[in-house]
Amino acid sequence: MKIPEQPLGPKILRYSITTLIVFASIWSASGLEITPERFLTAPTKIWQLVSQLFPLDLSSEAINRIVPKVGESLFIAWAGTVIGAIFSFPISFLAANNVSINFVSRITKQVLNVIRAFPELILAFVFLPITGLGPLTGTLAVGIHSIGTLGKLSSEVIEGINPGPLESIKSSGGSKINELLFGVVPQIMPTVTSYWLYRFEINLRASAVLGVVGAGGVGAELINQLRFRDFPRAGTVLVVTILMVLTVDTISAAIRRRIIKGREIKI
Amino acid sequence: MNRPRKPLPSLLSILGYPFTVFFTIYSFLQIGFNLEDFKTNLQNRKIVTDPLFNPKWSWAFENAAQALIETIQIAILASILGCFIALPLSFYASKATNQSTFSYSIYKSFLNFIRTIPDLFWAMLFTVAVGLGPFAGVLALVMFSVAIMGKLLSETIDSIDLGPLEAAKASGAKHNQAVFTSALPQILPNFTAYFLYIFELCIRASVILGLVGAGGVGRIIETQRIFLRFDRITPIIVLILIAVIAIEQFSVWLRRKIL
Repeated sequence: MKIPEQPLGPKILRYSITTLIVFASIWSASGLEITPERFLTAPTKIWQLVSQLFPLDLSSEAINRIVPKVGESLFIAWAGTVIGAIFSFPISFLAANNVSINFVSRITKQVLNVIRAFPELILAFVFLPITGLGPLTGTLAVGIHSIGTLGKLSSEVIEGINPGPLESIKSSGGSKINELLFGVVPQIMPTVTSYWLYRFEINLRASAVLGVVGAGGVGAELINQLRFRDFPRAGTVLVVTILMVLTVDTISAAIRRRIIKGREIKI
Repeated sequence: MNRPRKPLPSLLSILGYPFTVFFTIYSFLQIGFNLEDFKTNLQNRKIVTDPLFNPKWSWAFENAAQALIETIQIAILASILGCFIALPLSFYASKATNQSTFSYSIYKSFLNFIRTIPDLFWAMLFTVAVGLGPFAGVLALVMFSVAIMGKLLSETIDSIDLGPLEAAKASGAKHNQAVFTSALPQILPNFTAYFLYIFELCIRASVILGLVGAGGVGRIIETQRIFLRFDRITPIIVLILIAVIAIEQFSVWLRRKIL
């Protein structure tokens, strides 16, 4: 049996992508002066650090210092998410091209793109001289970045709704506001709330690192302990942070699943 | 007319709404929002806003261009390494292709564990372990990409069509051969799409790595920030934005071309 030959086009594409990837990594590695030996020696060096982190510093002084800092990260993340949710909700209606005017929707989308382009840390150190060292700066940075991301996600949810209910509200004499309130909101609410929770999980990680520039949270604690080479205490910071993130992730994922699936109603 | 009765509110909403409201109020109290302080501080805004809107372009072109290229190189190397490390891992972390429940749960929890540590924490740890410089940044972003790719790809593998796998086994293939010939081709388009997405994320993340000494343009931002030279930071941020948007456009174009 004769096997038909493969077409040439995809083959060329595949080879050119492979060469592109190989050349890009060689160019990057040589530019950064990274040699294979460094990768080979890295695991032993990392193992040395990890073995110094244990046993953890579980003295009550360390715990009393670290746990409130981790809590602060949690509060920054939640308050930032609430700010993001409250402001992004109306904005997402303006940005969705099926309920908004075309012109307005385009401008709003561009504004959201620009907001999203700034990382939280850059926002944080721009706010720092105005709002001071502390969790407020972190909250504003997290909140403003969340407006950008949540606005984009929610507007995409609005764009994907079923137009049927809107039409029936219109035909039974409802106003534009009625359409949005009783046609759009009930349809998007489950997905949008689950996006809020998902954003909260991401913000938790973001707020943990904000301390590096002094914007509150556990990041400052970790970088200071590592600079002073107090590795057991740095290990405690890491473990407490990981435990908190894992707990929040688990709870939030369970709630999201329940929101999307809905409740079983017995009739 | 006899209307059906509205179902009672669920336990989740009875407990959830009051708890959410309470937690929100408590969080805002904890972060210490004080309108008076905010007003007085707002008068300091000139320290930031005046230099922020009077950027010094020539300085940035001379000093930041090299660091910006370093940033992009870190992102390229880390996303390529990370994604190719995550490719085999995600086959082990999926129930569809890993027959042993024990090793499945180990790989799955390993990926979950990597994901809990934020990217900058990895960078801090690696700067201590292997020294300051871009190598620490590359390692940090490798962990970051492994975490994301592992999650996305293993969930994709969970939902593949099991038919081809069974067909390969029926014609005498071993498990590994079956996975290689009939599961891998199914997920390759998704792998490419995720790779480009992760590359974008890495470009964004690599900008801030320098704040903890892990190389790239963040190093310059950090030194200028300490001296409050916002007039030098603005052009750097604008350059970064241009680079990020250009790379994003390129990756969107490539994605459309490949898929």
